[in-house]
Amino acid sequence: MTTATPKPERGRHQSPSRDPGSWRDPGSWRDPAGFVFHRDGVVYRQIAASFAADWEHYLASGLHDRLRDEDVILGHDDADIGMAIDPSAWRVIRPEPLELVSYPYEWSFSQLKDAALLTLRAQDEACEAGMTLRDASAYNVQFQHGRPVLIDSLSFERAEPGRPWIAYRQFCENFLAPLALMARVDIRLGRLLREHLDGVPLDLAARLLPGRARFSLGLGPHVFLHARAQRQHADDGATGAGSSAGARATMSASKLATLIESLRDTVAGLEWDPKGTVWADYADHTSYGEAGTSAKEAAVVAALRKAGGRRVWDLGANTGRYSRLAAEQGYRVVALDVDPGAVEGNYRAIRADGRDDILPLLGDLTDPSPALGWGSAERTSLLDRVDADIVLALALVHHLAIGSNVPLPMVAALFASLAPDVIVEFVPKQDAMVQRLLASRRDVFPDYTIEGFRDAFGGSFGLVSETPIEGTKRTLFHYRRR
Amino acid sequence: MDLVFAYIDPGSGSLVIQALIAGLVAIPIFFRRHIARAVNAIRGESDGTGGRAPAGDDRDAEA
Repeated sequence: MTTATPKPERGRHQSPSRDPGSWRDPGSWRDPAGFVFHRDGVVYRQIAASFAADWEHYLASGLHDRLRDEDVILGHDDADIGMAIDPSAWRVIRPEPLELVSYPYEWSFSQLKDAALLTLRAQDEACEAGMTLRDASAYNVQFQHGRPVLIDSLSFERAEPGRPWIAYRQFCENFLAPLALMARVDIRLGRLLREHLDGVPLDLAARLLPGRARFSLGLGPHVFLHARAQRQHADDGATGAGSSAGARATMSASKLATLIESLRDTVAGLEWDPKGTVWADYADHTSYGEAGTSAKEAAVVAALRKAGGRRVWDLGANTGRYSRLAAEQGYRVVALDVDPGAVEGNYRAIRADGRDDILPLLGDLTDPSPALGWGSAERTSLLDRVDADIVLALALVHHLAIGSNVPLPMVAALFASLAPDVIVEFVPKQDAMVQRLLASRRDVFPDYTIEGFRDAFGGSFGLVSETPIEGTKRTLFHYRRR
Repeated sequence: MDLVFAYIDPGSGSLVIQALIAGLVAIPIFFRRHIARAVNAIRGESDGTGGRAPAGDDRDAEA
C-alpha cells in the first residue's frame, strides 16, 4: 500500500504559508462561499466575505440553533480568524469533529432514505426562517452517533421570494433517483452512486425504472417529467435566448411547500425489504448451536478486553451480532458487510435501539471503495479511512480465502495494514460452512489448514492467544502486529 | 436572479418544471389531507393539523 519514494499527496493543497500542518480538504472546493481545511489535526471551515450576509442571517434568524438543537446539523464553535489558511477568509469556524467520514455508496437503503428525509426537513425549516437549502448533496450528510446529520453549515442562503428550489435537481439525483432504483428495480443499483458522484442522472433513472413507475404519483413527476424537462431545456444556453428560462422561473411559497411535502411523501413511500439477499439471515443458519455461540462470544469478549483500544472495525459484520457485543464492551464500532440486506438489518436494529456506538457500512473487502473524484482525492478510499485499534474478523476468512481465492498471507497482510490488533476466527474445511463453499468447486486450497493459517498470520503478527471454540471445529486467534 | 451562491448548476429544466410539478403533486396531497380530515372527524379527534404529519416523523414509520 505504500510506494518506495514518497510523492506529494495529490489533491492536498498547502496553505500559502506552506505550513506542512495545514491543507485544504481535497473534497471541499466547489463552493465559493467557503471551504474545509485541516490544521494541526483539527478540521476548520472558513467562510468568504461574499457569504457574510447569508451567514449572519442563518445565525440571527435562529435557524442554526434550531437545527442544532434538533440534531439536524453539526454544531460548531467560532475560531480565531488567524487560523485561516487563505486570505479570502472572513470567518473561521471549528465544526464538531466527525467520528468517521462515509459516503452514500457505502450506506444501506434506509441510511440513504434517512439522509434524504433529513435534507427535506432542513429545507422545510429553512423556508420558515426565510432561507433555503441551496445544496442538497448526499455528501453533506454524515452519520454521527448513529444518526444522519448535515455537516455543511454554509448550505443555507436567504430565500428570494417567488423562486423555485435551487437544489431540486440535486435532491432528485442524489437521493430520489437512487432510492427509487434500489426499491423498485434492484438494491444493487445503489452502486450507481459510486459511478455518478454528482448523483444518478434522471434520464438514466427514467430508463432503468419500470414503465409503470411513470404513472406513480411521486416518481412520475419528480423523475420522469423532470428528466423530460431537463432534456427539453438542455440547450437553453446554446440558443442564447433561453439561458434565462430557468432564471425567470417563478413559484409561490405554497407551491414550494407542496413540492417539498410531495418529495417527502415519495421518499417515505419507497420501501425495500431485505429478505432474499445472501446473508441477511445468515446468523440464523450457522452450523453451530447455542453452546458454540456462547463459547464464541465469551472468547471474543476475552480477546477484546486483552486488546484494549477504543475503536473496532468488525469486518464481515453481517447483521451486527458481534458488533453489538463489542459496543457493549465500550468500543465504537464500524460494522462493515458486503451484503446490502445485512447492513440494512443492522442499521434498522441500531436505529430502533437508539444506539449511538455502531456505524453499519456497506463494503466489499475484495473491492473496497476506491479514491474517487478530482485528482482521485475528493472521496478517499475506504481503507484510508480505517481508524481501527482492533480488526474483528469472525466467520470471514474462509469467504476471502475460498470464496474469493485470496491467499491467506494476503489476508494477513491486509489486516496488518488496518489495525495493530486483530481478532480473527479460523473456520476449517471440516466446518459445514466451508463445505458449502467447496460444494460446487474444486478444492484448490491445499494451504487452507490451521497450520497454513498460523504460518500466514505469523508472518505479520505475533500471537496473543489461540482459543478453540467449544462445541465447534473453529478457533479464535488474537494477533498483535509486530 | 441572484445565482451567486447556486454554485451547482440548478439546471434550467429543473427550475422551469418545478411549478408545474408542484401543481400536479398538489392534487393527491389535497385529497389525502381531506381524507385524513374526514377520518379524524369520524373519529372525533381532529387535531387541527389538517392531517399533515409533523416534519421528520416519516423515518420511524417502518422501523
